[in-house]
Amino acid sequence: MANNVDLSVDFCGVKFKNPFLLSSSPVSNSAEMVARCFDAGWSGVVFKTLNSDRLPIVHPSPRMHCVHYGSKKEMAVQNVEMISDRPLKDNLTEFLYLKKNYPDHPIIASIMGFFTDEWAYLAKAAEDNGADILELNFSCPHMCIEGAGHKVGQAFKLLEGFTAAVKDVVSIPVMAKMTPNITDMNEPAMYAKNGGADAISAINTVRGISSVGLDDFVATPNVFGKGAISGTSGPAVRPIGLNFIASMAQNDQLNLPLSGIGGIETWIDALEYILLGASTIQVTTGIMHYGYRIVEDMIEGLSDFLAEREIKSVSDLVGKALPNLHETEAFDLERQGITQYDLDKCIGCGQCYIVCQDAAGQAIEWDAENRRPNLIEDKCLSCMLCKFVCPVPDLISYKEMPQDWKRQETAVMDKNMEKDIKLEPFTKEGPDECVI
Amino acid sequence: MSNLDKFKEMSKGLDLAQAIAEADRCLLCHDAPCSEGCPADTKPAEFIRKLRFKNVTGAIRTIKENNILGGACGVLCPTSQLCEEKCSAMFKSQNRPEGADRPIQIGKIQRFLVEHSWERGFEVFEKPEPRSEKIAVVGSGPGGLSCAAELAKDGYQVTVFEARPEPGGVLRYGVVSYRFDLNFLEHEMADVKALGVKFQYDTPIDSKNGAEKLLKDGFDAVFLAPGLWDAATIKPEGKEIEGLFSSVDYLAALRDGRFEEIAKKIKGKTVAVIGGGSVAMDCIESAVRLDTKDVYLIYRRSYSQMPAEPDERIEAQEAGVHFLLLNQPLDYVTDKKNRLKGLKLVRTRLGEPDESGRRRPVEITGSEWIMDADVVIEAIGNKALQESCEWYPNVKVDGKKLIKVDPETGKTSVGGIFAGGDIVRGPALVVQAVQDGKVAARAIKEYLGK
Ligand SMILES: Cc1cc2nc3c(=O)[nH]c(=O)nc-3n(C[C@H](O)[C@H](O)[C@H](O)COP(=O)(O)OP(=O)(O)OC[C@H]3O[C@@H](n4cnc5c(N)ncnc54)[C@H](O)[C@@H]3O)c2cc1C
Ligand SMILES: Cc1cc2nc3c(=O)[nH]c(=O)nc-3n(C[C@H](O)[C@H](O)[C@H](O)COP(=O)(O)O)c2cc1C
Ligand code: SF4
Ligand code: SF4
Ligand code: SF4
Repeated sequence: MANNVDLSVDFCGVKFKNPFLLSSSPVSNSAEMVARCFDAGWSGVVFKTLNSDRLPIVHPSPRMHCVHYGSKKEMAVQNVEMISDRPLKDNLTEFLYLKKNYPDHPIIASIMGFFTDEWAYLAKAAEDNGADILELNFSCPHMCIEGAGHKVGQAFKLLEGFTAAVKDVVSIPVMAKMTPNITDMNEPAMYAKNGGADAISAINTVRGISSVGLDDFVATPNVFGKGAISGTSGPAVRPIGLNFIASMAQNDQLNLPLSGIGGIETWIDALEYILLGASTIQVTTGIMHYGYRIVEDMIEGLSDFLAEREIKSVSDLVGKALPNLHETEAFDLERQGITQYDLDKCIGCGQCYIVCQDAAGQAIEWDAENRRPNLIEDKCLSCMLCKFVCPVPDLISYKEMPQDWKRQETAVMDKNMEKDIKLEPFTKEGPDECVI
Repeated sequence: MSNLDKFKEMSKGLDLAQAIAEADRCLLCHDAPCSEGCPADTKPAEFIRKLRFKNVTGAIRTIKENNILGGACGVLCPTSQLCEEKCSAMFKSQNRPEGADRPIQIGKIQRFLVEHSWERGFEVFEKPEPRSEKIAVVGSGPGGLSCAAELAKDGYQVTVFEARPEPGGVLRYGVVSYRFDLNFLEHEMADVKALGVKFQYDTPIDSKNGAEKLLKDGFDAVFLAPGLWDAATIKPEGKEIEGLFSSVDYLAALRDGRFEEIAKKIKGKTVAVIGGGSVAMDCIESAVRLDTKDVYLIYRRSYSQMPAEPDERIEAQEAGVHFLLLNQPLDYVTDKKNRLKGLKLVRTRLGEPDESGRRRPVEITGSEWIMDADVVIEAIGNKALQESCEWYPNVKVDGKKLIKVDPETGKTSVGGIFAGGDIVRGPALVVQAVQDGKVAARAIKEYLGK
């Protein structure tokens, strides 16, 4: 097992023995399951979102579908699952069991209400029965009632009001879970902060459609002839999650602890969230695909990473990639480069040639006799597409070119036709920003 | 399933998920050396790409349009010497991503796609406009079937004459059934029949000048593909030995009504098979499966000169066959009733290479010995039937009675008569016979166009 590196983190004043948590979903549906996840190594849990028993919760059937990529399974999962369908009493009894048997593993109670009193009621009940932190679910993507789920996440005033209502009745930290189905998460996050939120978690699932049945024209999951736009999760949404975490972490005004969620399966995925500003991470789809055991490799991988680099604690890594994250206008465009090929390793498949021809600079000639690519250096766009498709790792690499090196311009098919174009030169002066 | 049932059925191929996983490994090479390696132009790079991009029906179409026996070839092609030989996914380098050091299993994907077409009832060919020209095909082996299908696709009236009661040639009466079973053959035959090809069974074209007469009997062109159905032997002429089989006879017996009889004859016995090629491998493996006491393979050169494929050789050894190498059979030992008792062998050593490039076996004088055996199967080469040239006396043949043709067209020395398959090439492959059929069909269309 792993070396003895201390992976513990402090999140809103609560200690977790490592940054790896279950997110609120089927993986955290019962104490029996959560107990096993703790045994496997997860440090804490965001329990499946509690409901107040006011409205009956019935999950659609079937409630999930998944997106394969070639023979690779579960690149993304699509779900129309509701919040917990268990009675509140049962869920709270489960809290008591977990607190008694796993006192060192914090419980985060995820709750969702429809109006202020309901939010407050659930919050109080969770706190009274041992929850260490609350997570307010402002983000379930398939709630269709205005004022619930992700609709709250998009109606910022409601979000602020519900947060404040919860804060009024509890003393434990409160975290707001955000929907990615907006353009900029900083805005709702600031409303949550104004309402008193102590932390932000993101992302919940991304609204999407996994597939459409070709015999019945029903989007999946097909619930007896009906489909719906629903929630996408898993590896495919990771770039979206990283975007939102990074942009909130860069926001000095927000300055709240972040819990990163979305497509995490390995210690490297988790570390990337941490480097971009998350101090805990949460997982669902990775577990729906591989089970709780993946946390073993997260713990061991992250421990060895810390040990090898003599980094003392996970908190030393939080946000470490942020200083290097810029707007694209900050790039130094004077410095240019090309690809270089270590052809001793080449197996002659020609995929580099195909993509360079059809999607890049036509910078490769194909040596049919030897089955080798031949790079015309000054046509290479350095898009690196060839490197992405090449089956041999490290055969193609990037090389910076000297300052005086010039790339050939893309050739015009028939220069003679230039005399026929209809075009006046654009001469107007304008501002540097967009105006109507 | 009983042993005998297992003998009669081939093992399952890939399923859809496995085929897609295999297609996923394909590098989709720009210049596709696999396609260049296919003798029948079945276009593996194209059908694998189509499968990869979920164009499953298109993938089936590519196979069947180019190779009407795509299923049989997928099962029987020695792919490691053909399409898979130069597959880029095989190139070894320590830098290859894990698991990519082996070729794409092209034959297996091909077989899957063809079986899948039967399962989902996908029909590749549309009914062609019928044409008036009539073509006779002699022999319903791979060569004949391919030529017939290629012509029928364009509406030509094709009649296939077959000497035996059932169609398929070696596919039915040669290859052992656990490698290629009846059910599979019948599906593939159905694809040919659906094109409108007519078959006449039990109809040998073996009268004097019979093949050439077809041109006078209303056929506009003839394609000859009778294959090689005589067996080379070391038995003295005229002598009948009980317990001695030719591979042709033994394998045919396993696939016609005589199966039980043969199975009983060799059960519990010591069997020796003479030869080192793929046919010999079929004989020894089937003998092992029929509960013999011991099976010996007798080969006059050494292990690495054997023409059989490496995995066939390894499988045979795994199955418990004793390889008796560097031994040349000289004669048979029989009792008074001409029942086989054993065979006389002489040890050999390897000398200088011969025309085939393999080292020649040289007999070691004085090393003759007798080996006990109850049954011997000779698998030392199929050849043209002695009388075959009388069926087409004006068609030029070589010393081995193989028909001489122009390789670009399959044209024989007689106008309107074309030929292909083993009767032209000598012992060859299913996929090559398919190609010969296609080439001749194209030439026949051109010939009739004039
Ligand atoms: C035991 C064995 C195993 C083999 N295994 C493989 C393998 O695994 N893979 C592979 O690629 N190749 C294999 N081959 C070789 C392959 O089967 C042949 O190359 C191929 O069948 C040749 O096809 P063809 O059409 O020329 O002849 P055949 O398949 O021999 O068909 C000829 C047909 O013509 C009929 N016929 C003959 N004379 C007449 C006549 N006068 N009138 C009417 N009909 C007539 C015959 O009855 C027969 O049906 C094997 C061959 C043998 C013998
Ligand atoms: C089937 C399913 C049910 C979910 N239910 C809830 C829920 O009740 N409450 C909640 O806050 N998030 C819920 N989620 C969202 C997850 O907690 C998580 O935010 C999202 O799936 C992204 O993380 P992942 O890529 O690791 O799965 C659910 C996700 C899935 C797949
Ligand atoms: S993609 Fe890589 S391996 Fe393939 S031809 Fe190009 S350089 Fe060689
Ligand atoms: S050679 Fe191999 S890897 Fe390349 S296209 Fe053919 S099957 Fe695919
Ligand atoms: S027909 Fe045979 S050689 Fe050709 S691609 Fe298919 S399996 Fe390979």
